[in-house]
Amino acid sequence: MSEQKSGNIVLPGERLGVIEEFLPDSGTYVKDGIIYSKIVGHALMDLLHKRVSVYPLINGAVVPKVTSTVVGQVGNAQSDNVLVRIFKIGSKKLSGVFTGILHISDVQERYVDSMNDVCKPGDIIRAKVISEKNQIYHLSTNDKNLGVVYAFCSRCGNLLEPKRYEMICTKCGNIEKRKTPVDYGHEEI
Amino acid sequence: MSEKPEKLIDKKGLRLDGRKIDELRPVKIEVGVLSNADGSAYIEHGKNKILAAVFGPREMHPKHLSLPDRMVLRCRYHMAPFSVQERKSPAPSRREVELSKVIREALEPAVFVEYYPRSGIDIFVEVLQADGGTRCASITAAALAIADAGIPMRDLVVACAAGKIDDKVVLDLMDTEDKVGVADVPVAFMPNLNAVTLLQMDGILTPDEFESAVNLAIEGCKKIYALQKEALKTKYMNTKEEVEE
Repeated sequence: MSEQKSGNIVLPGERLGVIEEFLPDSGTYVKDGIIYSKIVGHALMDLLHKRVSVYPLINGAVVPKVTSTVVGQVGNAQSDNVLVRIFKIGSKKLSGVFTGILHISDVQERYVDSMNDVCKPGDIIRAKVISEKNQIYHLSTNDKNLGVVYAFCSRCGNLLEPKRYEMICTKCGNIEKRKTPVDYGHEEI
Repeated sequence: MSEKPEKLIDKKGLRLDGRKIDELRPVKIEVGVLSNADGSAYIEHGKNKILAAVFGPREMHPKHLSLPDRMVLRCRYHMAPFSVQERKSPAPSRREVELSKVIREALEPAVFVEYYPRSGIDIFVEVLQADGGTRCASITAAALAIADAGIPMRDLVVACAAGKIDDKVVLDLMDTEDKVGVADVPVAFMPNLNAVTLLQMDGILTPDEFESAVNLAIEGCKKIYALQKEALKTKYMNTKEEVEE
C-alpha cells in the first residue's frame, strides 16, 4: 500500500515511500532510505514499474540546458564572438540574466566573414544552447528558426526591416547585414 | 508605547493579549502575492506583517561572488521605517544585517544548492509591521517563497519562538513579552526531516527550562507547518481551477 495516492499535490519534504517499495524518479530525493518530494507537484506512483516521481506544478528554477532555445540581447561584440545576455529560456522569462557566448563558427553552416554580418550590440537574438560545461553557455544559431529576431540600425537605432538578403532602416536608409530567422520580428519579449 | 506592565501573566494564567501560555498568535499565510518575483509569500503572524520575495536562480551579480560547485543564497532582511512605533531609519542596521545572515543560514540546509552551480538566488524579506518574533515569521515566509519559485528543497522550514516570562515558559512571544520577559528562544525547524536549522537564545534559562522552551517552540513550529502547507496547496488548487475555467 503506498503512502500517497497518485495525483495528490505534494510539497517539498513530503514523504512518498521507501526505496524498498519504489524507484525514486524525477522530483524526488532519498534520505536514509525514505523517498521525499523536493518540489511542489502531483505525485505519480507508477505501481506497474515501481517508480515514484513528482510532476512539477510550477515552471520555475529554469537554467539554460543543452538543446534549450534561449532569447537574449547581444552585449559585448568582438570580430569572432559575441556575448549574449539571456533573459528568456524556452517560454520562461527570467528575473535575471545568464550570459551566453556565440562564436562565429556556430553561426551557420557556411563560412561567415565577420561577426558584424551576423549581429550587432543591442540586437535581440534567438539561439540554441550547444554546451553548458562549467556553466559557460555556448550558443548556436545554425538553424532557419534561429538568429537575430530584432535588429536595430547602428546609425540611428531604429528597428531594421528585412529586404532581400539585407536589412534596411526605414528611417535613415542605412543598409546592414544580419543572420535572421524565417520569422524575423516575431518574438515575444 | 504604553508603560511597562507589572505582570505579563494574570491570575487566570492568561497573557496580555489573552492567550494561554502555550497558544500561538493567529497566523495567516498567502503564497504568490508578488507578480514580478519568481516566488513570494506574505505572512501575518499576530501583528507581524511580512513579505518575502525570491528571485532566481540567476547569474550572480557581481559574478565573482558565485561559487563553482554550488548556488549562492543571498538574503536581505529589512524593516520598513513605519514597521515600528518610533520611525526606524531605512538604512540596514546592525541587527538587520545579523538577521539577514541568520535567516539565510536557517534556509540554506533546506535548499539543494548543489543543483545550480555558479548561480544565485536572492531572498528579500520586508517587514511591514513588527511585533516580536519577526525572524521566525520571516523564515516561515521565505521558505514558502523559495518553494513557490520552484526551487528544489529538502523540506519546508518553519520557525517559532518560545521564551520565559514571569517564571513561566511560554510559546510565541510578542514584542512586550520579548522586551520585559526573561528569555527568548527562536527555533527554525524542518518538520519532515525532524531537524533544527536555527536555535538561538537571548536571556537566561536553566537547562531544564531551555529544554522545555525548545520543545514548546518545536510544537509551535508543527502547528504553523500545517498552516504553511495549507497556504501552499491553496495557491495551486486555485491555479488549477483557473485552468479548468
